[in-house]
Amino acid sequence: MRGYGSRWPGVLRIVTLALWCCAPLGDTANARAQGTQAGAGAIFPPVVEGRALAFPADTGAHPDFRTEWWYATGWLADDEGGERGFQVTFFRVRTGIGEDNPSRFAPRQLILAHAALADPAEGRLLHAERSARALEPLAGAGTGRTDARIDDWTLKLETGGADGTDRYRTRVRADAFAFDLELAAHSAPILNGRAGYSQKAPDPVNASYYYSRPQLAVTGEIELRGTRRAVRGHAWLDHEWSSELMPAGAQGWDWIGINLHDGGALMAFRMRDAAGQALWAGGTLGVETGEARILTPEEVRFQPARHWRSARTGAEYPIAWQLEIAGRQFELRALMDDQELDSRGSTGAVYWEGAVRLFEHGREVGQGYLEMTGYADRLRM
Amino acid sequence: MSGLAPGAGRAALGSIFLASLRQRRMATLLSLVAIALGVALGLAVQLIQSSALDEFGRGMRRLAGEADLQVLGSRGGFDDTLYLTLAQMPEVEAASPVLEIEARLPGHESNLRVLGIDLFRVAQVQPALLPQVRAERDNARDRLAALRPDAIFLSPAARVALRTEDGELLRVQSGLEEAGLQVAGSIAAAGVGERFAVMDLGAAQQLFGRIGTLTRIDLRLAPGVERREAEARIAARLPPGVAALAPEDSAAQSAGLSRAYRVNLAMLAAIALLTGAFLVFSTQLLSVVRRRQEFALLRALGLDRRVLLRGLLAEGAFVGLVGGVLGVVLGYGLTALAFRVVGADLGAGYFRGVSPELRFQPLVSFAYLMLGVVAGVAGAALPAREATRIAPARALHAGDEMEILQARPRTAAALGCLMLAGLACLLPPWQGVPVAGYAAVAFLLAAAVLLLPGATRWAMGGLAGRRGVLAELAQARLVAAPGQVVVAGAGVVASVALAVSMAIMVHSFRLSVDDWLRTMLPADLYLRASSSAASGHFDAPSVARVAAVAGVAAVREIRFETLRLSARHPPVTLIARPLSGGAGLPLVEPGDFPRDGLTDRPPVWVSEAMADLFALGPGDFLKLPLGGLAHEFRVAGVWRDYARQHGAVALELEDYRRLSGDGRSNDLAVEFVAGADPARISTAIAALFEPGRIELASPGEIRALSLAIFDRTFFITWLMEAVAILIGLFGIATTFAALSISRTKEFGMLRHLGMVRSQIGRLLAHEGALTAAIGVALGCVAGGAVALVLIRVINRQSFHWSMDVAIPVGLIAGFAGLLVVLAALAARASGAAAMRGSAVQAVREDW
Amino acid sequence: MLELDGISKSFAEEGGGAQRSLFRGVSLRLEPGQSVAIMGESGVGKSTLLHCIAGLETIDGGRIALGGVELAGLAEEAFAKVRRERYGFVFQAFHILPHLTLAQNVALPLWLLGVAREPAAERAHGMLVRVGLGDRANEWPRRLSGGELQRVAIARALVHRPALVLADEPTGNLDPERAGSVLELLLEGVREASAMAIVVTHSRQAAARADRVLRLVRDGLVEEAGSS
Repeated sequence: MRGYGSRWPGVLRIVTLALWCCAPLGDTANARAQGTQAGAGAIFPPVVEGRALAFPADTGAHPDFRTEWWYATGWLADDEGGERGFQVTFFRVRTGIGEDNPSRFAPRQLILAHAALADPAEGRLLHAERSARALEPLAGAGTGRTDARIDDWTLKLETGGADGTDRYRTRVRADAFAFDLELAAHSAPILNGRAGYSQKAPDPVNASYYYSRPQLAVTGEIELRGTRRAVRGHAWLDHEWSSELMPAGAQGWDWIGINLHDGGALMAFRMRDAAGQALWAGGTLGVETGEARILTPEEVRFQPARHWRSARTGAEYPIAWQLEIAGRQFELRALMDDQELDSRGSTGAVYWEGAVRLFEHGREVGQGYLEMTGYADRLRM
Repeated sequence: MSGLAPGAGRAALGSIFLASLRQRRMATLLSLVAIALGVALGLAVQLIQSSALDEFGRGMRRLAGEADLQVLGSRGGFDDTLYLTLAQMPEVEAASPVLEIEARLPGHESNLRVLGIDLFRVAQVQPALLPQVRAERDNARDRLAALRPDAIFLSPAARVALRTEDGELLRVQSGLEEAGLQVAGSIAAAGVGERFAVMDLGAAQQLFGRIGTLTRIDLRLAPGVERREAEARIAARLPPGVAALAPEDSAAQSAGLSRAYRVNLAMLAAIALLTGAFLVFSTQLLSVVRRRQEFALLRALGLDRRVLLRGLLAEGAFVGLVGGVLGVVLGYGLTALAFRVVGADLGAGYFRGVSPELRFQPLVSFAYLMLGVVAGVAGAALPAREATRIAPARALHAGDEMEILQARPRTAAALGCLMLAGLACLLPPWQGVPVAGYAAVAFLLAAAVLLLPGATRWAMGGLAGRRGVLAELAQARLVAAPGQVVVAGAGVVASVALAVSMAIMVHSFRLSVDDWLRTMLPADLYLRASSSAASGHFDAPSVARVAAVAGVAAVREIRFETLRLSARHPPVTLIARPLSGGAGLPLVEPGDFPRDGLTDRPPVWVSEAMADLFALGPGDFLKLPLGGLAHEFRVAGVWRDYARQHGAVALELEDYRRLSGDGRSNDLAVEFVAGADPARISTAIAALFEPGRIELASPGEIRALSLAIFDRTFFITWLMEAVAILIGLFGIATTFAALSISRTKEFGMLRHLGMVRSQIGRLLAHEGALTAAIGVALGCVAGGAVALVLIRVINRQSFHWSMDVAIPVGLIAGFAGLLVVLAALAARASGAAAMRGSAVQAVREDW
Repeated sequence: MLELDGISKSFAEEGGGAQRSLFRGVSLRLEPGQSVAIMGESGVGKSTLLHCIAGLETIDGGRIALGGVELAGLAEEAFAKVRRERYGFVFQAFHILPHLTLAQNVALPLWLLGVAREPAAERAHGMLVRVGLGDRANEWPRRLSGGELQRVAIARALVHRPALVLADEPTGNLDPERAGSVLELLLEGVREASAMAIVVTHSRQAAARADRVLRLVRDGLVEEAGSS
C-alpha cells in the first residue's frame, strides 16, 4: 500500500493547515462577534448561543463557518484479545480565498484528514494524513449529512437503520495500516456546552457549535502491516464547527472523550496558557439514559501525574493525570506512552493523541482518548 | 641480429625517441596544440551539450517528479474535467493537474513559465514543485499564502533572472491586461538554472483566462497495476489531441529537438581532432624522414625492429597524451567561457530557461583524453611502420628520403570512396540522425585526400608553360615528391572542404531563410500580443480598434496554437490566418492532387517537416483535434518552414475559428493604404494600447532580428571552422619546417650556385602556395560536394527542410586566396631556420 | 685570370673572443685553362679558403680578383651574382637534388641565370652527353652510383661556362678507381672551356692530375714537394 504522508516533504509545511482537532483558527485578538473577515469578501458567521441544532441536518458540513471537524476515536479489540486505539479526523476549512473565482480549482474550501492507529506492539503511533481542496467528486464535505472524503478516505453517515440507529462508516488507507469500520450510534447526540454552544475561553466569541456521539458500537476490519483482522469495539465521535476558537494567549489544550463502562460518557477539556495554567475549562458528563450534565470551568480540574519525554521532539507530555470532575476523583492512564503524533514533516504540528483508560478508586471505569496540544510549541493556525 | 635487452629498450625509448621530441620543439608544439584544440573543442561541445541536456533532462525529471505518466495536450490545453475522470480511475493512485502558461512579463525581454498547480496534488506526484512561503516578520508564515490568487513563487534561477525579491510585485500580462502578483516565496527544490514560477491552479485559470483548462496531468499509477494495461485504459479515456506519455518519452521528445544540432557540432569537433591526427602524422612522418640515417645506424647497431616501432608509437602517444591533457583543461575553460558568453545552447536557442553548472565529468574527460592519445598514436602509426622498413644499408644514400615522400595516385580508391558517398546519400536517417549522410561526408573527404597525389601531378603538368627558376624548382619538387603535398595538404583539403561546404550551406540557408521571411511577412506592420505560447493575445474589440486607425487598409489576424497529433511525436504548431488558398505561403509542393469526391474537406497546408514526420503529401487526409474533437482536413500543399522543426500546419483562420471556437489571436498583420505614412500609423496604433502590452514590428525589423538569430546560431560553427583551418595551416607550417630542416643541404648547395637567401625563402613560399593551392582547389571541389550532401541529405533528414543552393563565389574565392597567401607565408616562415644556417655548414658532409 | 693576394683568415676561438689566425699571406695567380690542386693537413683551412674565394666567407685581409675585377668586399647579393655567372661547384657529397631529373639538375645554373627552359634543357643535355650520361638525361638521380652522381655534378658545374670551378674533395666519396676518371673529366672540361679550377683534395693521386699542386700551410700556399 502506498500512502501519501510519507511522500510529503517538509516544504508542505507552508500549506499549513496545522489544523487539528479543536484547533482554533486565526487571530482571535481582534475577533468580533458579528463575524470576522479574512480574504476578499469572506464573512465568517459568528457562533452564537441559542441556535438550535437539528439532526441529521447538522451532522453535515457548515461551509460558511471558518473551520469544522469530525473526529472519531475509539478502542478496538480483535478475536485474540489484542487492544488498539484508532483515530480518524476530517477537517474542513473555509479559506476565504477565491470565492469569486469560477474555476473549479479555486481553493474556497480545504479538506484535511488525519488517521492513526495505536498498537502497543508497535510501541508508537502509526499515523497518516491527507489534504486537498474541496473538488467534487474527489474531495469535499457534504451538507445535510456527514459525508467527508478525500479520495478513498471517507467518513460518512450512512443513514439511520430501521432500528433508529445512526450508522457511520469510515475508511482509511495508508502505508502501514488501513481500516474500514462501522460506527453505530444507538442514542441521540449529546449537545456540549449550552445546548451545543460550547464556550472555549472567557470571551464568549471563542466558541463553537459542538455535539458528541459517545458509545458508538464499532465493527469492522483493520489492516496492520499487511495483516487483516476483524475487530469490535466502541468509539466516540465529535463534530464541531466554529469561526473563532482559540483565544489569544492560549498555548494549547488538553481534552478527553471517554466511554464509561456503565454506558455513560465523559468529555472534558481545558485551554492552557503559556505557563500551563488553565485559561478555561469545560466538559460534559453523560449518563446512559442520554441525559448530560454540563460541567462549568470550576468543575473540571486536570492534574498531571506522570510525564514522558519524546526522544523525537524533546516535548514532555503528562501521560497520566489526576482528574477532578464534578467532585469525583479519576485517574487517567495511557494505553502506551508513545502516542505522539509528529507531523513536522507535513502539517508541522506535534501533539499527543492516544488511547487512555479511566480509573476511579483504582478500578477501570472507562476507555477513550486523550489529546494534548501545545507541549512542543505553541499551537498555531 | 638479435634485439636488445628489454632494459636497453626502455633506455632507448627515453634517450632516442622521446628526446627527439625536444629537438623538434616547434613541430611537437604545433602537434600538441592541434590535438589539444581538437580534444578541447570536442570536449567542450560534449560538456556544453551534456550539461545543458542533463540539466534539461534533470529539470524535466524533477518537474515530472514521481509521475509514471504525463497526460499532455497541446499548448492550448484540454478540458479540466478530464482530471476528475482520470483521478477517479482505480488504476490511478494520484493525479496532479497542471496549467502551464508562458506568461508575458511587461518590461521584460523573456517570458516566464508559470505552472498553475494544485499544491496538495503536486505534493503527491512532483514534490519538487512545492512552493516555500517566505517568512514574514517574527518568522511567522501566512499558511494560506500558497493558495492566494495574487501569490507567485519563483525558482531561484527565475528570481535571479527577474531580479525580483520576496514581497515584491511581479507584473504579468494576460491578454492585453496586466496584473500584479506578489512574490510570496520560492521553489527551493527547483534545479539550478531552472527558470519557472508556480502559483495556485485556480488562480492561474482565472488570471490567464483559462477557466476550465489544463495543459498537463501527471499521474502516478496504483501499485500492482499492470502498466501497459493501465496505460491503454487511460489512453482510451483521453479526448483527441491529448496523449499519455511516460516522462522519459516527453523528455526525450524535447531533447530530440536539438539532437541533430548536437550531432552536427560533435562532428565538427571530430573533424578538428582528425585534423590534429593529420598533423601528428605529418610531423612524425617528417621526423622519420629526417632520422632515417639515425635509425639505420641504430638498426645496424642491433636495435630491434619492434623497439623502433614501439618507440615511434610512444612518441605519438606522448604528444597525444600531453595534447589531450592540455585539451581537457582547455575544454573546461572553453565550456565555462561559452556558458558565460553564448549560453548553454551555443546560441541555437534549444535550451531556453536552462543555465547549467559546469561540472567535472571524469568519464567524459578521460574518454577525450584517450581520443587525444589515439589521435597521436594513429598519426604516428604509418610513419613508424615506414621507419621499420628502412633497409639500414640503403638509408645512407642521400636522396633516399624521397622514397617516403613518393605517393602513388590512388585513383581507384578515391573513386570507390566517391561511390560509397553516393550510396550513403541514398540511405534514410537512423533515429532521426543522418548517420549515412555524415558517412557520405567522411567518404567525400577521404576521396579528396586520396585524389591529392594524382591531382598534384595533374596540376603540375598543367603548369608546364611557366617560367622562372623558382617556379621550375618548386614545381619539380612537388611533381617528384607529391607525398610532401599529401602530408602538408591533407589537413588543408579536409578543413577547406568543410569550411567551403559550411559556407555554401549557410549561405544557401541564409538566402532561403530571407526569401522565406519575405513570403511569410507580406504585410506592412505586425502587432504581437505575445509569442505563440505566451499569455498575451488580442480579442475582437482590440482588432476592431486597430482596423479603425486612419491609413490602415486591412487587418489580418494570426493565431498560433500547438496540436498533439500522436503520442510518438511532439506537438506540431498550428498557424491559423487568412491564407487566400495557400497563396500566402512559401509552397514547395502546390496541391496538384486529383479532385475527387472529398474536396469538401477544409484545406490545410503542412510544412516540410510535418510532411516528412507524418508522411503526408498533397491530397492526403489529416485529422486535427480542434475544440476537443477530431476534424478531417485535406492537405492542399506543402510549404517551406524554417521555424518549426517538429512541423507546422497552416489553415484558414475562418476554418479554425469555426471548428475550435477560439476567437483569440496572437499577431495582427496590418496593411496600410497606399501612400500612408508608416511611422504615423505605427504611432497611432501603439497609442491604442497600454505601453509594453504589445510589440510592433515592421517586416524589416522581424527579418533583421530573425537573421541576427540565424547568424548567432551559426556563430559557433564558424568558430570551429576557423579552428579547423588554423590547424590545416599548422599542417603546412610544420611540414615545411620539418622539410626545410631536412633540405638544409639542398638550400646550401643552391646558395653555392648563386641563390640568395631571399630567393630560397621565395622558393619555399612558392612551394607552400602551390601545395595550398592544390589542397584548396581540391578542398573547394570536395566542399561543394559536401555542401550538397549537407543541404540535400543532412539538413533534410535532421531538420526536414529544403533550401535553394547558392554559392558565395566571392567569399570562397577570397577565402581560398587568403589561405594560399597564408600558406605561402607559413611555409616561408617555417623555412627561416633552414635559411639562417650558413651555406658552408650546410654542404658539409658531417655537420 | 684569378688573383689571390695575401689573403688572411682568422676565426673566433670557441668560448672566447680571441681571434685565432687560420692562414695568412695566401697568394695565387691562375690563368685561364689552368688548374691547381690544394692539399694540406686536416684543419688547416683548405675548405675555408675555397669558401673565401667563393664569397661564402669573408676574408680578413688581402684581395681576390677575377678577370681583373675585385671581389673581396662585395655585398652578399653581388657576390651571389658572381657565383651564378662565373663560378662552378663540385661537392664531396654531390648534392644532386633528388626531385629533379639529371637534366634539370644540370640545367639548374642556367635557370638561375634566367636561360629559357628549352635552350637550358638543350645545353644541359649536351653537358650530360659530354659526361657520358646523355641517354639518362630524364632519369631521377636516386638510381645513380656515386661516380655517376659526381659526373652529373661536373656537368652542372660546367654547363654555364664558368670562369672558375671550385671542387671540394670531389673524389672523397668515390673509390680510387672511379676517382681518377671523374677528376679527369672535370679538369678536361675546365681546360676545354679555358676556365680555371681549384681542387681541394687529400689524395696525392688526384692532386697529381692538376696542373700545379700546392700545399696550404699557416703562412700561405707553398709548392708541394715533388709535384712537378
